[in-house]
Amino acid sequence: MTQVVLAAVLGVLFATGTFLVLRRDVVRVVWGVAIIGQAANVYLVTMGGLEGTAPILAHNGGGGATATDPLVQALVLTAIVIGFGTTAFALVLTYRVFEENGTIDAGEIGTDRDGTGPLATLGGDRDE
Amino acid sequence: MSDVVVVAPMLVAMVTGILTLLPRGNRQIATWLSLAGGVAYVAAVAALFVAVVPGGGAETAVLTYQLSGWPAPYGIVLVADALSAFMLALSAVVSLPALAFAARYVDAYGQALSFHPVYHFMMLGVAGSFLTGDLFNLFVWFEVMLMASYVLVVLYGGPDHTRAALRYVVLNLLGGAFMLVAVGGIYATTGTLNMADVSRRLASPDVYGVDPAPVLGLSAILFAVFALKAGVVPFQFWVPSAYRAAPAPVAAVLAGVVKKVGIYAMIRLYFTVFGAGQVGADLALPGFSGSAFLGYFGPVLLAMAAASVVLGGFGAVGRDDLDELLAYSSIGQVGFILLPLAVGATVADPALRQFAIAAALVYALNHALAKGLLFLVSGALFDAIGSIDLREVSGVAGRDPTLAAGFFVGGLALVGIPPLSGFFGKLLVFDVAVRAGSNVALAVGLAGAVLTIAYTSLAWNRGFWGETTREVERGVTAPTLVALVAALALAVVAVGVGFDPVFRAAEAAAEAALARGEYVDAVAPCSPDGEVCR
Repeated sequence: MTQVVLAAVLGVLFATGTFLVLRRDVVRVVWGVAIIGQAANVYLVTMGGLEGTAPILAHNGGGGATATDPLVQALVLTAIVIGFGTTAFALVLTYRVFEENGTIDAGEIGTDRDGTGPLATLGGDRDE
Repeated sequence: MSDVVVVAPMLVAMVTGILTLLPRGNRQIATWLSLAGGVAYVAAVAALFVAVVPGGGAETAVLTYQLSGWPAPYGIVLVADALSAFMLALSAVVSLPALAFAARYVDAYGQALSFHPVYHFMMLGVAGSFLTGDLFNLFVWFEVMLMASYVLVVLYGGPDHTRAALRYVVLNLLGGAFMLVAVGGIYATTGTLNMADVSRRLASPDVYGVDPAPVLGLSAILFAVFALKAGVVPFQFWVPSAYRAAPAPVAAVLAGVVKKVGIYAMIRLYFTVFGAGQVGADLALPGFSGSAFLGYFGPVLLAMAAASVVLGGFGAVGRDDLDELLAYSSIGQVGFILLPLAVGATVADPALRQFAIAAALVYALNHALAKGLLFLVSGALFDAIGSIDLREVSGVAGRDPTLAAGFFVGGLALVGIPPLSGFFGKLLVFDVAVRAGSNVALAVGLAGAVLTIAYTSLAWNRGFWGETTREVERGVTAPTLVALVAALALAVVAVGVGFDPVFRAAEAAAEAALARGEYVDAVAPCSPDGEVCR
């Protein structure tokens, strides 16, 4: 039962993430990436197996061979920390994109406001 | 069996990164600390190289470092063999000149604030990726390297830089998530994350109860992530804007070193770790032959390499912006690195496969040096003139012959003119294609060579020859920057003239890449339960 529920949750998370990544609003894109990252974490947890007891008890002879694999949980902790850092950076970057470009619409970013077209004037501000 | 020399490059990069954080705002101290750290990194890599490849490649050693003394496969293990040593040497040769260039080129505020620590953390991630022997640890070092490179790409913080960085960040975050999925899946199917242990279990799947078919699928997801890092078609679209936004010395390192991490991961995983993987005959995929893992990746590699060479070449022809031209060119050149790998993956002859890997490594070294040199030329031009638009820059050859000579040498190295390093790179790539009788690879190589000649000569004619514009007349090149360009240009010539030791090192690295048994034995001599060796 747990397997079916988690499989469904994973499907919904990946689908939601993909949907958001394809939006034009850059903030939603970042949310979508964050959700896909979390979906990968949930997936990692399920890879360790869903049966068994808390691994800490196995140490005192409580759980024995039925303890859950603790390695994936250590991996997920690492992945969560990395994901936290990168998401924070991506959000700050989004704000900076808004400050510099005046829009968070992925379709409008890059078209110059004064109408000289995309990709104009990189040279001037390179070594400010 | 732990060897401190294995962790030395990582330790040096990490300590330098932390030390350069300390003199907050004092640019002078931070810069000198950083330069000292860059020199120490080269020294650490040299020490490791000598320890692993004594006597220039006749015999090589595989050194390991078991973190905290936990024996593999339980602990994380760092492995230095000839392949890792070769890639580390490549990173050191490019990173020190680029760092020295940046010390003069990047503005004072950027240097005082964040440039130096971030640069060294990026090199830490690069060294970690080259040395780790653990799949999840590889993910971690990738993230360390990428996090630092995000900051370096967005260093100038203008509208175009933030836009390029956003694209770069989002794509790599997605890549990271997929890498996590693949690594988790491989752990679930093989029961281990240690690369040597994965390799051992795949070699005798019945003993360990491993089903190889899902591993093939998961390794294909992993392959896509590495292709994204290496910037090959169809994952190339972040390359031009990111290289254009990054400061020139950073672009030199991104194109020269960071891309090669993706190439290294492909060689290490698909030729060494998954090298013994076989799938059953019942798994017949259309268009593929054989049952070895490599047989499935060979055609994919060939398609990617061909598309990269053609798209990169056509993209570079006719670009006005020099950085953009170099970025497209680097897509095509990475295709040239993949081309022999694709041939090597499909041939059955082990000697030819080894030769193909050596050719790819030689080409990788040539591309790192030549593209690093060209990006530094572009940086020196921008520093002097304030523009690298070929419509505005013209006649540099008359204004500063040394700088123009630097571009000339780099361009000819890309084209492959003797006696420069690129000549042997191209020669070996064609030699591999001919020996394997692969007409497709040969045709792609020829087309790519013609395109390379086209865009380098176009850039030369438009930017360096021709009438001297007023901007170029007024511009004053910085002697330090030009000296560094000249030094790298000499390195390109030196590699070409004294090619024999370089080729022997590349051959030793290729041999190590295929020496699966030695790799597994060095990391963990026998399986934990003492039953199966190799």
